[in-house]
Amino acid sequence: TSDWTCESCPFEQGYRAEIDAGATNVSDEAARFGNYTGYDEDGAYADVDGHGSYVNDGYRLDWTVEDLGLDSRVVELSMGKQGVFEFRAGYRELPFRRFDTSSTIFSRAADGTLTLPAGWIPASTTNQMTQLGSSLQQRVVGTDRQIVDVGADWKPAEMFRLFADFRRQTRDGIDISSAGSYTQAAFLPRWVDHETDQVDAGVQYRSDAVSLTLAYYGSFFTNQNPSLTWETPFLTVPGATTLRAAREPDNDFSQISLAGKYRMAAGNTVVAFLVASGRGEQNADFVPYTINPDVVTTALPGTSLDAEVNTVNYSFTVTSRPISKLRVKYGYRYDERDNKTPISDWDRVIVDALSSGEIEQNVPYSYDRAHMTVSGEYAFTNKFRLAAGYEWKQINRDYQEVAEQTTELGWGQVRWRPTTWLDLRAKGGASRRGIDRYNETTAISLGQNPLMRKYNLAYRYREFGEVVAAISPAELPLSFSTSVLFADDDYQESLVGLNGAEEFRITADLSWAVSDNASIYLVYGQDKIDAHQTGAEQFGFWDWSAFHEDDFDHVGVGMSWRPTDGKFDFSLDYNRGNGETRIALDSLSGGPSSLPDLESTLDSANVKASYAFSERWSGTFHLRYERFELKDWALVSQTTLPTILTLGAQPYDYDVYAVGIGIRYRFGDGEITLAE
Amino acid sequence: QATDEGAELPDYSRKGADTCFQCHDDQATLAVFRTKHAMPQDPNSPFGHGQLQCEACHGPAGDHAGRVRRGQERPAILAFGSMSTTSIADQNAYCAACHDADTGFAWHGSAHDDNTVACSDCHTMHNERDPVLATSTQAEVCFDCHQQQRTQSMKPYAHPVRQGKMACTSCHSPHGDTTERLLAGSTVNGTCYDCHAELRGPYLWEHAPVTEDCNSCHNPHGSTQPGMLSMRAPMLCQSCHSQDGHPSVPQDAGGLASNIPSALLLGQSCLNCHDQVHGSNHPSGSKLMR
Repeated sequence: TSDWTCESCPFEQGYRAEIDAGATNVSDEAARFGNYTGYDEDGAYADVDGHGSYVNDGYRLDWTVEDLGLDSRVVELSMGKQGVFEFRAGYRELPFRRFDTSSTIFSRAADGTLTLPAGWIPASTTNQMTQLGSSLQQRVVGTDRQIVDVGADWKPAEMFRLFADFRRQTRDGIDISSAGSYTQAAFLPRWVDHETDQVDAGVQYRSDAVSLTLAYYGSFFTNQNPSLTWETPFLTVPGATTLRAAREPDNDFSQISLAGKYRMAAGNTVVAFLVASGRGEQNADFVPYTINPDVVTTALPGTSLDAEVNTVNYSFTVTSRPISKLRVKYGYRYDERDNKTPISDWDRVIVDALSSGEIEQNVPYSYDRAHMTVSGEYAFTNKFRLAAGYEWKQINRDYQEVAEQTTELGWGQVRWRPTTWLDLRAKGGASRRGIDRYNETTAISLGQNPLMRKYNLAYRYREFGEVVAAISPAELPLSFSTSVLFADDDYQESLVGLNGAEEFRITADLSWAVSDNASIYLVYGQDKIDAHQTGAEQFGFWDWSAFHEDDFDHVGVGMSWRPTDGKFDFSLDYNRGNGETRIALDSLSGGPSSLPDLESTLDSANVKASYAFSERWSGTFHLRYERFELKDWALVSQTTLPTILTLGAQPYDYDVYAVGIGIRYRFGDGEITLAE
Repeated sequence: QATDEGAELPDYSRKGADTCFQCHDDQATLAVFRTKHAMPQDPNSPFGHGQLQCEACHGPAGDHAGRVRRGQERPAILAFGSMSTTSIADQNAYCAACHDADTGFAWHGSAHDDNTVACSDCHTMHNERDPVLATSTQAEVCFDCHQQQRTQSMKPYAHPVRQGKMACTSCHSPHGDTTERLLAGSTVNGTCYDCHAELRGPYLWEHAPVTEDCNSCHNPHGSTQPGMLSMRAPMLCQSCHSQDGHPSVPQDAGGLASNIPSALLLGQSCLNCHDQVHGSNHPSGSKLMR
């Protein structure tokens, strides 16, 4: 075999590319239609997509561009000598569009302060703000994320690989903040300007039996707007007309890790491990307690927090197949977050209006989490396998109502493949999350009803099960698969708080290869989540309850068709998603009551077609249609709430088409022909 | 690896790929020459010098390529995919012979390994552009098995997976990890911070469950509630907070816009004032309002 040369192999050499250029017209303006796609404005868009490669004597260059004319553009490039080195670079934009029906009275001054219209007369309630209607200006809420990344791989020797990647993410635009001014609050258009640099670098050693990777990860976040200052539109106490909140502080995180695996010949065993140690730091300058000169405070404990969190992660896994029919696994994992932030005394100034007179201490939360798993699988025959497992997890926490929480989980699984066309899998199990005790003294010190059991800390019993079936008859061009899952959480010891939750999911997929050139698919999915909670208006036993029913259904259908001559290519995808949330309450004070249903309906269709006029030229067509309707009673106008000045964003309701035509040109060889 | 010993094995074909292409000369098969597997200058490529070409992946094809009597079924070679008669362990072993280190340290015993997922269930080797390696097409490959996650991705508030702008591998390591759910980061939060670094802190005033697990409040695969929250506020907040006073009051239909509008129910509910639920670095931000 070492003399094989392959005289007929059509090895790639030279340049090859495919470029689509076209224009798209969007029928209407809708922020959500443009969310993540870039089609948020109506009108015409020019667009270019393409990909290509250049190969020469072992060197290779690949590039891809997507949506070049849109705010969701992607450019990726990689080049190198295969097996020796590779350099890669990329640029990606991601538009997040939240609301275009929002409007605000605030303007942004040069120093970043959100200012009121000239001559604004503060009022106690929104409907007393006489200039409100005439002062509102439309303000689209949304941000743009840009990601630049460069990286390289180098293999200086057969057994070593060095890698390094650098990524810079920036996010700018306008987000919503809601900030209080004592007894009122205003929704603020908050200008976002974030930058995060990330580094991944390391060296890998690999041999037939051993693989080791020593790596560094660093994340460095910078916020250009670390505080938010605004003029309150409400009547307030003297000196509190301008307010300030802190925003996300700069932070750094660095982590060193060593991961590896060793393949032992004995018992067909693989041992894998990971050890990682990280440190996070946050030392951004504090804003003052208050910018109200009338409020007297003590001096800040420092100019910054000097916060530090140390993390430790390690894991160890052994997987073995001592005999061909038996496979066993043991895993242990430990994660720790050790918050070393100093504890200090802090004045409490209530929204720049007055001092509460209280001195508070910050609480640096820490936890550690250990997770052990044991599982085994036995293949009775090639068609029937039985598996079972046990998991133990323990979490220890500081400063919370529960110091130690232990979860035990047992599961079993049957996999049966009676014929080549039928594959069945059923899995089920139960877990019990116990706690050492729910410390009611701690709860009371936090101002909590001592009967409240926070659901992430509370005792919980869970049962779950899943059945998956796949049918692929060899003699028929059909395949069908379905899955059913249920999970039932019971918080038996929670008198107040979340009492229980059930989730039920079902899916079904059908695909039909109508011919060698055409296929059809149909998919269905349902996700139902029910929850039940209790609350107490006074400290003591529960006096109200709420039932949640959250249903979502999805239907998708599509087809693709490519006639034998290869000139015409057509695909169609249609999806419908229907969500409905029902919330019913019952209380001693108000009796039974139901909130109106929260509803969403999405109809989405994508049509793509192309026709090859010649070997190199094709015409393209695409249609993207989306109808979305939302019913959400929480979205209210600026004057609905007397003490909350919202941005007045409306529930989504749009019906938009994006229709595009274009041309495609192919450089280089199309058909691959064997060498003579 | 190609070896001289291998050349002496009777069950390899006589001329390697030149033998194979006498029958298998369709475009779908030949498309492998537009992939990195067919780079003759790379000594580790199946088509590198001294390598086994098609038989590097499909196994010895001497019997398959040899003469067969009329009516006799041609002996099969190693084929990939769900309809193959070759066991998935054997299929994967051929891939792992070269890519063992590329799959990281935790493939063995990972969820995909446990469930006997074949490399070819996700990867298409003869395709010039493997769909699972491109952000815009990856999710459709994953959704073939993870159908429940496809349903969730269609919910009104979800990461941009259905739009093809985010890949499943942005959060998950399909080749295995020792984290739960094969997460790419050290923990759930460590994974989320990769894109949401502004929430890493540590903050002066922390919200305890936030520091531990973003999934305490969010459903990252999609939700019917804004912000991918697992439940509508204020009830979500009231699942943990029962302080004396306003947090404990049931927010029913009496607080709707058509009745007596309640600031505890409408707008952003609790977040109308406690906007900084992820933590605050304000010296007086203990109530997560500033």
